[in-house]
Amino acid sequence: MGPLSVNEIISSGTNFFLAFIIGIGFGFVLEASGFSSSRKLAGVFYGYDTVVLKVFFTAAITAMLGLLFFSLFGWVDLSLVYVNPTYWHSAIAGGIIMGAGFITGGFCPGTSVCGAAIGKIDAMVFVGGLFLGIFFFGEGYPLWENFFKDGFSGFPRLNEVMGISQGVLVLLVVLMALAMFWVGEWAEKKFPREEY
Amino acid sequence: MKNLKDVNPLILLAMALIPLALVIAAVPENTTKPYKLTIDEVVGQITEGAQYYTADQIADYIVQKDPSIQLIDLRPKDEFETYHLPGAINIPLSDILADEWLEYLDQDVRTNVFYSNGTVISNQAWLICTQRGFKNNYVLQGGLNYWAEAIINPLKPDQTAPNDEFAKYDFRKAMSGALGGGSLEVQSTPSQSAGPMPDVAKKPKKKKAAGGC
Repeated sequence: MGPLSVNEIISSGTNFFLAFIIGIGFGFVLEASGFSSSRKLAGVFYGYDTVVLKVFFTAAITAMLGLLFFSLFGWVDLSLVYVNPTYWHSAIAGGIIMGAGFITGGFCPGTSVCGAAIGKIDAMVFVGGLFLGIFFFGEGYPLWENFFKDGFSGFPRLNEVMGISQGVLVLLVVLMALAMFWVGEWAEKKFPREEY
Repeated sequence: MKNLKDVNPLILLAMALIPLALVIAAVPENTTKPYKLTIDEVVGQITEGAQYYTADQIADYIVQKDPSIQLIDLRPKDEFETYHLPGAINIPLSDILADEWLEYLDQDVRTNVFYSNGTVISNQAWLICTQRGFKNNYVLQGGLNYWAEAIINPLKPDQTAPNDEFAKYDFRKAMSGALGGGSLEVQSTPSQSAGPMPDVAKKPKKKKAAGGC
């Protein structure tokens, strides 16, 4: 019965080791799919390349389906799976900052490390900026602590807010994702770029 | 027949995911609580004493004001008002099924430790909660009777007792002082005091698996 480390089936050391192996695999696939190019991520915003959107959303819906099936078969206890607490104000502010970083830098935190690993200078600059941001956030924490903790609304799950079951929500998200992929492919045809 | 390669990958993806999503939308959520113990596991836990926290452990938690521990006094209200351990709340055993206590008993944040005068009532409460599928409930070993004997008025060991006994005694004496029990004994012969305080083994607390992008 999962989660493995929470139920002490594997030690936290083994857990980190598995995370390390999975992380290497994740980085490898990101690089192999061309995500270490900043143009790939920026393409989502301009519409000429929506691979990033498709890959991450496919991963999300696969994981959603997988977790619910695991729960159905009694392989994982979903009540032990961590749900991030929701702080409305900082979530919105963070989303805006992250989105602005995406479009100007052309990387997300994961792909920037990927790009830096194969020696891309723009990715290294991005990683540097990331650490600077972490540093200033940490050092200046008392300044924005109130804002950071504002608008706390517990650990809501979307299906609870909407008053539907988890399964119905997953079905809706799958349909939404497929519709989004379709729009993405339409956008790729509409705003093509020769070379990037 | 059309070759699979000629089909739009989006259609393939939809063909794979939509049926699965339909299945998961149609079946009820699995709400069985897997941590409910089978009768074998209950017997195993009882014989092993896995539900116990020792008086020393609890004294240590109280002195350190560890917020993750919630002491629950199962005795009647008047006894609770006469004396109770610091930070304890009162849930008389007869009220244990009341809805108002549900959020204290069925939660996965704090560690509940039941106590009463002996251990019989605490064990009954522990068994009730365990079989209702609640986690994080434990029992103070020996109850208040042993607590008074060991922590509030610890007996000085014989001069010939091993060093461990003296260390334990010093620890309990210190705890007793911190908890407002008997007065602290002035150490006239410091050379006699044995070593550092014994480590109080803490049970690992379960944490949720954290995740992130």
